Amino acid sequence: MKGLNTALGAAGLAAFLALGEVVPRTGLVKESYFPPTSRIASALWDEITDGAFWSALGDTLTGWAIGLAIAVGAGVVVGVLVSVVPYLREATASTIEFLRPIPSVALIPLAVLLYGTELRSVLLLVVYASFWQVLIQTLYGVQDVDPVAEETARSYGLGTWARVRHVLWPTALPYVMTGVRLAAAVALILAITAELVIGAPGLGQQIAVAQSSQAVPEMYALIVVTGLLGLLINVGARTVERRALAWHQSVRGEVAV
Amino acid sequence: MRRLIAGLATGTFLLAATACGSSGGSGSSGGGASSGGTTTIKVSTIPIVDTAPLYVGQAKGFYAKHGLKLSISQAQGGAAIVPGVVSGQYQFGFSNVTSLLIAQTNNVPVKAVAEGVNSTGKENADFCGLVVPKGSSITSAKQLAGKKVAVNNLNNIGDTTVRASVRKAGGDPSKIKFVELPFDQMPAALDKGQVDGAFIVEPAFTQAKSEGAKNVGSPFVDAAANLTVAMFFTSQQYAQKNPDVVKRFQAATKEALAYSDKNPAEVRKIVGTYTKIPAALLSKMTLPHWPAEPNQASIETLAKEGRQDGLFKSAPDVDKLMP
Repeated sequence: MKGLNTALGAAGLAAFLALGEVVPRTGLVKESYFPPTSRIASALWDEITDGAFWSALGDTLTGWAIGLAIAVGAGVVVGVLVSVVPYLREATASTIEFLRPIPSVALIPLAVLLYGTELRSVLLLVVYASFWQVLIQTLYGVQDVDPVAEETARSYGLGTWARVRHVLWPTALPYVMTGVRLAAAVALILAITAELVIGAPGLGQQIAVAQSSQAVPEMYALIVVTGLLGLLINVGARTVERRALAWHQSVRGEVAV
Repeated sequence: MRRLIAGLATGTFLLAATACGSSGGSGSSGGGASSGGTTTIKVSTIPIVDTAPLYVGQAKGFYAKHGLKLSISQAQGGAAIVPGVVSGQYQFGFSNVTSLLIAQTNNVPVKAVAEGVNSTGKENADFCGLVVPKGSSITSAKQLAGKKVAVNNLNNIGDTTVRASVRKAGGDPSKIKFVELPFDQMPAALDKGQVDGAFIVEPAFTQAKSEGAKNVGSPFVDAAANLTVAMFFTSQQYAQKNPDVVKRFQAATKEALAYSDKNPAEVRKIVGTYTKIPAALLSKMTLPHWPAEPNQASIETLAKEGRQDGLFKSAPDVDKLMP
């Protein structure tokens, strides 16, 4: 079954790539705006053998990783605090609901004013976008704590820290992990957007340079790279999730099938 | 498992802490660090042909000779450069003249320090052109009155200079309908007939011509003789506090401009290092002219015409802007 799925997946991808080769060649779309797969592949090879590409990839991943780490750390801490401290949830709910829907890209002018075209502008956008994903999931996760388990822990005389650690955290973790997985994807989108629009160093900036240089195949090659990066990040996040939740019903259930 | 998570969490905070630490550190060094007689200056530019002398000067050691070490940042557009320079993140920036005049009339403290780039001064042989699509019935800039013309930025140097081309050809410049479009998308927009004309610069200009677009005017040439299109600038605060660094930057830039103007082959080679312009376009495209000094008379023309078109809130003070 698994082998068949893989074969079907490969066939689908091959058909897609072949379509990308044939359509521009037959003139259905202009080759100068949509180069065939083989041209993109050769441009991709040129990029891979160029040092500037790797430093751009490093810049993008640095912005992504630092931004995600800050967002996850802050999101979990703030989420637990807001839920545990009495009345804080009610007091902050309206503010959170006001700030959360502001699209991170709307903060680009602010980022430019504060930090110019440096890494910090990327971080501002990445952290702002991914922080809410983690925070909201943490809040819901904490809400899901079984009151009976909580009361039982209380009657056994567990202190606040012990209850957070042994009751609250295991309940919230599956939610937090979902938040982290979503945040990882959002962080990449925002890192590339910031580089593309502001011009901070990274893959996004390389795409913009290729675009303004009329280097169309190179531009598509870099776009393919960002797609692959997104794919890898998603697979990585799922692996981390599975590992962290190996004990949890949702993951154990999946393994049994 | 819990230990792993605790470890992950601790690591996260350490990362967060170092990130905050490093941002504090680089913020304080924004004033241009100097060590052993060499001053490091951060210059914010756009990765286009016009800024080649900066890279030439760096490669040829003109800046090093004057005790300057360049750290070049590539911004995606002028919008990110002016605030960055004024707030002190960069010591120098590259901007077109109209944007500097707009900044000045908005009381943004900018001060031009050196020539950036000039038109070639030759009709139909400039690095910027007014083009119409292949097969268009338009043969003169005059006919663009009442038509849709793409410029990269509305209410900027494109408006002023395209109007100059149409006026010169005998058309009514007030009737042009400007639409905003990035340069790199103009060849496709022309090809698909989405616009009737485009104000376009290299390398998109050569690309459009290779797809059959026709050049009906040279806006930078029609606007003024030897038009200064862009200049290097700094903030007034920085210019007051660091007159010596500004002087050295001016001297080195002058040498870099003169060298670039005389050595087009080297310019084409170096442009290939900081852009991705394909070799075929790189060898064919028209290079701009890099004189040693900005042409103040041409800047006054841009100021006067821009004022008439309502680009500025108040009358720009060109004398105050110039070095």
